[in-house]
Amino acid sequence: MREVSDDELKKMNINELTHLFVENINEQNLKLIEGIEFLVDEKFENFTQNLNLVIETNTEVRIKKAFEFKIFKSKLMFSKADRLKLFNKINDIKNIGEFFAHKMLLYQVIFPDEEFKLQILSILKSLKTISIDLAEAVKTIGSDLSKAHDICEEVKEERRKMREAEWKLLDQLYNYDMDYLSKTFLYLKELIENIMMLADHIKSFSEYIQFLVTKYLIFD
Amino acid sequence: MAADIISIVVIVLIVLAIALAFSIGANDETLSTLVGAGVIKFKLALLIGGIAVGVGMFSFSFAFVAKTVGADLLGEAITYTDFMLLTVLISSILWLVIGSFAGIPLSSTHSLVGSIFGVVFVYSITHETVNPETAFNWVKLNNVILGWFFSPAFGLIITYVLFKLLAKTYLSKLKGLNQIERSEKYFKWLLLISVIFAEIWVGANSGEAVGILYGLLDNGTLNLEQYIFYAFLCGVFSCLGIYIAARYVVRNLASQMMDSRPSESLITQISSALILMIATLLSLPISHSHVIVFCIIGMNVAQRKEIDYKGLGKMAIYWIITFPVAAILAGLIYFGFNLFGLV
Repeated sequence: MREVSDDELKKMNINELTHLFVENINEQNLKLIEGIEFLVDEKFENFTQNLNLVIETNTEVRIKKAFEFKIFKSKLMFSKADRLKLFNKINDIKNIGEFFAHKMLLYQVIFPDEEFKLQILSILKSLKTISIDLAEAVKTIGSDLSKAHDICEEVKEERRKMREAEWKLLDQLYNYDMDYLSKTFLYLKELIENIMMLADHIKSFSEYIQFLVTKYLIFD
Repeated sequence: MAADIISIVVIVLIVLAIALAFSIGANDETLSTLVGAGVIKFKLALLIGGIAVGVGMFSFSFAFVAKTVGADLLGEAITYTDFMLLTVLISSILWLVIGSFAGIPLSSTHSLVGSIFGVVFVYSITHETVNPETAFNWVKLNNVILGWFFSPAFGLIITYVLFKLLAKTYLSKLKGLNQIERSEKYFKWLLLISVIFAEIWVGANSGEAVGILYGLLDNGTLNLEQYIFYAFLCGVFSCLGIYIAARYVVRNLASQMMDSRPSESLITQISSALILMIATLLSLPISHSHVIVFCIIGMNVAQRKEIDYKGLGKMAIYWIITFPVAAILAGLIYFGFNLFGLV
C-alpha cells in the first residue's frame, strides 16, 4: 500500500485524497483476496501475513483525517455532502475488508476438494474484478461521469454472476456426505458469506455512483 | 377634535407603512440561494441584500408601483382619504396575520390590492357624488390583475427557456464532476450579481409600504419633502428587516438548498428578477413569491423533475381567494368606520 507523509497529504486536494484512499482500499482488497488464495493453496504463513496487512489501518486513518479537514473547509457547497458520502462509502468497504480479515484469521482450514477450491477461486477472481472496477469508477467520477456509470453497470453484472456462484457453493457445502468438522463447515460458510458481503457493498457503492451520475449530468 | 383624530391616523399610517417595509424585508427569502451556495459570509449577504432592497424601494418610490397603489388604481375623481388608507392597511395586515396563523401562504400584494378594491367600492356606494363605475381606473386594475396571471406564467416560461438554452449550449457538455464544480464556481459569482439585481427589483416592486405613503402625498396630507423622508425610512427599514429578521427564514431555507447548483439558482433568480423588473417598469405590483414558485416549477419541468401538483393546487386556491376575501374584509371594516362617521 502506498505510503504518504503528512506533508504530502496536506498538499493534496479533495479529489486527490479520494483517489489515494480508493487506491489504498483497492490494494487492501487485493491483498485480502490474495491472502484467501494462499489459504486455498494451504500456504498458511502467506495467508496470515497478507491478512495482517489488511488489518493495519494507519495510512487510511491519516488520509481520512486529511480529507475531513479539507472537506469541512471546502466552499463547494452543492457537491460537498456527496463528496463526503462517497468517501465514507469507500471507508465502509475498508471496514468490511478489515472485519472479513479478522474473522478469517480466527482459524485455518483445509478445503474439502478441488472443485470447491476452483469455485472459491472463481468468485475471488470476480471480487478482484469488481474491486478494481469500483476504484476505477471512483477515479473517473471527476473526469467522466458517463464512463463511471458504465463501469458501475459492469460491476453490477459481475456481482450478479457471483450471486449464482455463491448459491452453488453453499449448496455444495451443505451436501457433502462426509461427517464434517463443524468448525470447518462454519468457516467455509463464513468465507462465502463474507466474500458476498464485500461484493454486495461494492455493488451498493456502484449504485450510489450511478445516483451521483444521474444527479449531476445534465442532458440537453 | 376631528383634526386630532386625523393627525393620529396619519401618524399611525406612517408607522404602519414603515412597519410594513420592515416586514417586507423580514419575509424576503431571495438571499437563501446565495447563502445556500456559500458564496459570501452570511452577515455580508444579509447586508448586501438589505441595502439592495432598500435602494430598490426608495429609488422607485416616486412613480411606478408606489404610484399605482397610492393613486392610479382609483378613478380620476377620487383620492384616498386617510381612513381609507388606514382601512387598506388594517385589512391587508389582518388577512396576512390570519393566513400566517392558519399556515396559509398568502400574497401581500394581492391582499393589498383586494383591500383597496373593497374600500373604494364601499366608499363609492356610500357617497352619492361618486359613481361606482368611475371610482376605479379599470384599465389599471385589469392590468394589475392580468399581471398576477401573466407574471408567474412568464416566470415559468423564461426559466424553462433559459435553462434549456444553458443546458444545450454549456451544461450538457460538462463531463466530469471536477469540470462541473469548476464551472459552478463561476456561476456562484454570477449568482451574487443576479441576487443583488433581483433584490433591487424586489424592493422596487414592493409597493405596499411606499404606496400607502404615496396615497398620503396624493391626497395632500404629506408634502414632497416629507414623502421623500418617509420613503427613505421605508427603504432603511426594509434593509433592517432583512438584516435583523430575515436571517431566520434565510438560514432555514439556505440549509435546504445547500445541494442546489448555483447555475440553477442563477437562472431562477434572473428569471424572477426580469419579471419583477418588467412588472415594475409597467407599474404593476405583482407577487414575488408566486413568481419565484413558478420559476422553480419551470426549472423542474425543464429537468423533468416531479412537481407537487397538490401543493400547487392549494396555493392556487389561496391565490384566488385572497383578492375577494381581502376586499370583503376591507369593505366591512370601512363600512364600520363609516357608521361612526369616520370617512
